[in-house]
Amino acid sequence: MRQGRADEYAEFAAARAGHLYRSACLLTAGDTHLAEDLVQETFGRLYVRWGRVSRVGNPAGYAQTVLTRAFLAHQRRRSSRERATDVFPDLPGAADGDASLRLTLMAALARLPAKDRAVVVLRYWEDRSVEETADVLNVSSAAVRTRCVRALGRLRELLGEDLAAYSRP
Amino acid sequence: MPGSQHHDPFEERLAAALRDAGDGFDADPAALTAGGRVRGRRAQLLRRTAVLGGAAGIALVGVGGALLVPGGDSLGPDRSSAAAKPAASASATAAASFSGDDLLRTLKGLLPDGEFSQEAANGTRGDTPPFAHVVYDDGEGAAAIGVGFGRLEAGSREVREVTTCPDRALVEYDDCTSGRLPDGSLLMLYRGYEYPDRREDTKRWSAELVTADGQHVSLSEWNAAAEKGAPVSRAEPPLSLEELKRIVTAGAWRRVVDAMPEDRRPPATGAPDAPPPGAAGESIGAPLAGLLPKGLTVVDRGGQETEYAYLVIDDGKGRSLVQVNVQPDMSDVADQLYGEAETLPDGTLVATREGPGEKGGEGVLMWTADTMRPDGFRVVISAFNTGAQHQDATRATPALTVDRLKEIALSGKWEGLR
Repeated sequence: MRQGRADEYAEFAAARAGHLYRSACLLTAGDTHLAEDLVQETFGRLYVRWGRVSRVGNPAGYAQTVLTRAFLAHQRRRSSRERATDVFPDLPGAADGDASLRLTLMAALARLPAKDRAVVVLRYWEDRSVEETADVLNVSSAAVRTRCVRALGRLRELLGEDLAAYSRP
Repeated sequence: MPGSQHHDPFEERLAAALRDAGDGFDADPAALTAGGRVRGRRAQLLRRTAVLGGAAGIALVGVGGALLVPGGDSLGPDRSSAAAKPAASASATAAASFSGDDLLRTLKGLLPDGEFSQEAANGTRGDTPPFAHVVYDDGEGAAAIGVGFGRLEAGSREVREVTTCPDRALVEYDDCTSGRLPDGSLLMLYRGYEYPDRREDTKRWSAELVTADGQHVSLSEWNAAAEKGAPVSRAEPPLSLEELKRIVTAGAWRRVVDAMPEDRRPPATGAPDAPPPGAAGESIGAPLAGLLPKGLTVVDRGGQETEYAYLVIDDGKGRSLVQVNVQPDMSDVADQLYGEAETLPDGTLVATREGPGEKGGEGVLMWTADTMRPDGFRVVISAFNTGAQHQDATRATPALTVDRLKEIALSGKWEGLR
């Protein structure tokens, strides 16, 4: 990579690392090791094709797409080996302190199918539109809406309607 | 910006909760970007190295992708200095590391007598996968020979790509055979050309071995002193197919692969993979529940991701986990999955297995019926004598017999999930 481009890449990576990592943590429902791995994988791919990526105009969006797809590919590989269910963490009750609230939210996310979780993260963390989410996941807008409704229903069931305990006032 | 497009108050609150939760994860940007750079550079280097040549070289990009950190070379003792203890980062099966010289010595020891020059190699501790390369002359002319290593996920698409003969419509070659060895390894022996368009007559012959554990050894030879850019030095590469097979299957190479740094997960290469279509876990659970014999209680159910669902059932004798995978378009791996399968009159393949569980629970049995319709539509059902594979057995046998599993897997009710 030429020096100018390498600098540009380094600047981009440093600026986006924190956000991508937080996205990855939500996608993996709090598996921080897998999240780190996915972010490094994402940066690795961006590094190789940075010349093209930097010209598309929205490298941040591209990075998020790469991350989401890397996550789904990872999940799919796991499922294709007849993996038995992981033991789901119990949902701890909403207690005091941000840490346990986060654990509760992560445990609820963990109970969503991977694609539904990706929809929730893209829609409500990334604030992407239904159409943008559909593009990232390579599915129709209708499929995104269906997954979204289903995921919201499940989260309501698991976390309660008001959710007030899970965010700061 | 955040939350502005959501009208339902629950959506607003969810967005706020995700922001709070997400902000609680502290990243180490320097480590993440450094790790990404290492992976990116490794991919580039591998493309340039191209020691393995052709399709194999491409398939190996990204292989062995451990979580490498800069300076990782200093990790792990030398084999010579630590013969008795495992390398620091290695799993139980991993051996100590091998240096580039170790690999060269092994390769030269396996080759028939001759002259060697232009030796180059990477050991198992570098941040690129190991390889060894020599120019070998048996008296008939100098020939490049290279061996490279990787670790693939057994049964994966990469394994099929590496060991399947190329389509003659796409690549011109002289002959190619691919098959399974008695130990379960897949071996492809290939005689073709360095340049598929034959713009130069450099021949490349190769052997691609992938063991049942996913250890990949790639051995190539040319009838020139370099794979590209050197004049043809002899009519044919020096090693016969039998010799290629003998060398590629040498046990020493498998230990080299074992000594490569562990990856937490198999590598993914190339462009962002579009998620393939697949039936959602929840839609799979419903037919499964409907196909169970009467008198069973479903005590838990779930489907964490696409194509996969599970139920925990109880017939009065204790909990029994039943899981199902429904996967379209799996015909390309049929020969690997159904080696000894029964073929039904309509062409459906059925394999059954009774074995131990895979997740470490004490005394856990896993009974499986694995079926594939002629068009590649696969339904696999397993039942366990425990409610969770990680937990010890809670009953003598799974709540469903293998025959019953077979019957369920072959039901027409799965057709709706195509």
